[in-house]
Amino acid sequence: MNQLHIAFTLFLSLLVEAIPFLLLGVLLSSGLLFLIDEKQLITRLPKNPLLGSVVGSCIGFLFPVCECGNIPVARRLLLKRVSPSVAISFLLAAPTINPIVIWSTWVAFGNQPQIVIFRVLFSLAIAIIVGWVFSTQKDTRLLLQTSFARRFDSIIYSQSENTEGKPLLLQSGSFILDGGQVLPFNNSLLLDAGQNSAALKSKGQFFVDNLLQEFSELGGMLVLGSAIAAIIQVFVPREFVLNLGQDTITSILAMMLLAVIVSICSTVDSFFALSFAATFTSGSLLAFLVFGPTIDIKSIGLMASIFKPKIIIYIFTLVAQLTFIFTLTYSYFF
Amino acid sequence: MNLANPRKANPNKNNPLFSWLDGLALLTWGSLLLKYTITGQYKLLIHPNYYGLVLASSIILLGLGIVKIKLTLAHTQQKNSEHIALFSPGFSSSLLICVAIAGLMIPPKILTSQSAMKTGVRDIPLTRSQPQSFRTVTKPEERSLIEWIRTINAYPEPDAYKGQLANVSGFVLHLKELPDNYLMLSRFVITCCAVDAYPIGIPVKLETSRNTYPPDTWLQIQGAMIAETLPIKEQVSKTTMERRSVVLAAKSIKSIPIPADPYGYK
Repeated sequence: MNQLHIAFTLFLSLLVEAIPFLLLGVLLSSGLLFLIDEKQLITRLPKNPLLGSVVGSCIGFLFPVCECGNIPVARRLLLKRVSPSVAISFLLAAPTINPIVIWSTWVAFGNQPQIVIFRVLFSLAIAIIVGWVFSTQKDTRLLLQTSFARRFDSIIYSQSENTEGKPLLLQSGSFILDGGQVLPFNNSLLLDAGQNSAALKSKGQFFVDNLLQEFSELGGMLVLGSAIAAIIQVFVPREFVLNLGQDTITSILAMMLLAVIVSICSTVDSFFALSFAATFTSGSLLAFLVFGPTIDIKSIGLMASIFKPKIIIYIFTLVAQLTFIFTLTYSYFF
Repeated sequence: MNLANPRKANPNKNNPLFSWLDGLALLTWGSLLLKYTITGQYKLLIHPNYYGLVLASSIILLGLGIVKIKLTLAHTQQKNSEHIALFSPGFSSSLLICVAIAGLMIPPKILTSQSAMKTGVRDIPLTRSQPQSFRTVTKPEERSLIEWIRTINAYPEPDAYKGQLANVSGFVLHLKELPDNYLMLSRFVITCCAVDAYPIGIPVKLETSRNTYPPDTWLQIQGAMIAETLPIKEQVSKTTMERRSVVLAAKSIKSIPIPADPYGYK
């Protein structure tokens, strides 16, 4: 009973920490509906998949959110028809490659600048490589989780329908009358809201609707993810994980495992890692700092709202392998 | 994994019940966060630095909840034609509501020695790998347990602290490797949220057996620092090694109630 109560406390503490960031992410994502003109965005983004991943991994500088906040933003980018390589690079890089996290890492590890520098370099490299790998899949929908793909479809479909110039009332679906104009009552409203002056009046409402919908959906995912993370935290002693790490290789693996279990927010994980500085090699600390922000149990639920489970496993495996190889290389040179 | 049904065929899609649930989820979460900030219980869950963030979120959530309820009452809201969630409609909100209500009813629990044993207590926690020069600002007897550990970390020379007075509070932890008349006076330190809490502690030398003070008792201990060689269990290798460490020789021990902010923060 005691253990259960502690698990519940840890569960709440994860949620109380994550919900403000989720809210921030959802606010940003809903803001993107209006702030970014997706046609401009598409033309400005490089067509080359490699360059696309590079740009994607730097978008984090514009949106300083951690791993709970970046998922709504990545979802919005995908719905804005940004290529998956850009979105995946953003997803993996944004929690690390942003001013707040770099600053907090510097505060914690200022006396070991190589940790700060390699954290940024490795995260950037991993995000670019993984984004690049996924750019080989041309059909975005095959990566996406079924109902999200359906929504993705409906947006693309309704858009192509509108551009055909077919009279609106001849199309199927529901419509709203707004100031004498007929508007189809579907997702294309969301897309056109930025440009269509007739929809301007409803802008605020769309913003609120989108905000509410995303928050309640992602909030549910977050609850499940945090519950699993809290249960593991209580029933698998941390000492057990730390004891796995004895030499260079196993200590890297142990710190990666710890990163997944602790599910700590990337803005503060460097302070947490600092407390292991005395007992662990700097290579394994780096593994914690590079791997932690990209993957943790708490955010798996959130990722499941975008990607198919198979794709999430691919992403995790790739990131884990790259982190391992990079940090192992690092520990042989430093 | 995919629980979603094709919702085009679902007549319940625009069921006002779901709008109510959404609004209620926002309101309950707003109230829960507000309750934590007002009662100070947030300190048991996260680092006090996040106070503003939690307060702002609770206000935004309450505001959104009111907007949502108003929209539902006015029947004006426009639903997106397609839901994105993995869940059937209403499930996510119901889950959020249940958790928030449970949170409102069950106060957070303060971490105990049992969790400390799982995490593994450390006497050298707040260390930088290369300690920087350190100037003591506070008088020794005014230092808290955390400040003591910090000081010792910055200048790990146990014999330098001999004779300094100390007056610290924390909870009791029994470590098997220490002799029977020693206990660890400990506190949890939080970096970000309670999930990452880890215990730190200082060995206390008693005149009696430590069994007088069962684990998890909160004590205020006054005494003077001494340096002794004690068996200390290594964090990683799990081997017990004799090591010279700073020990608090207790002069007066007072049992105290659990303080309002039982944790240390980094």
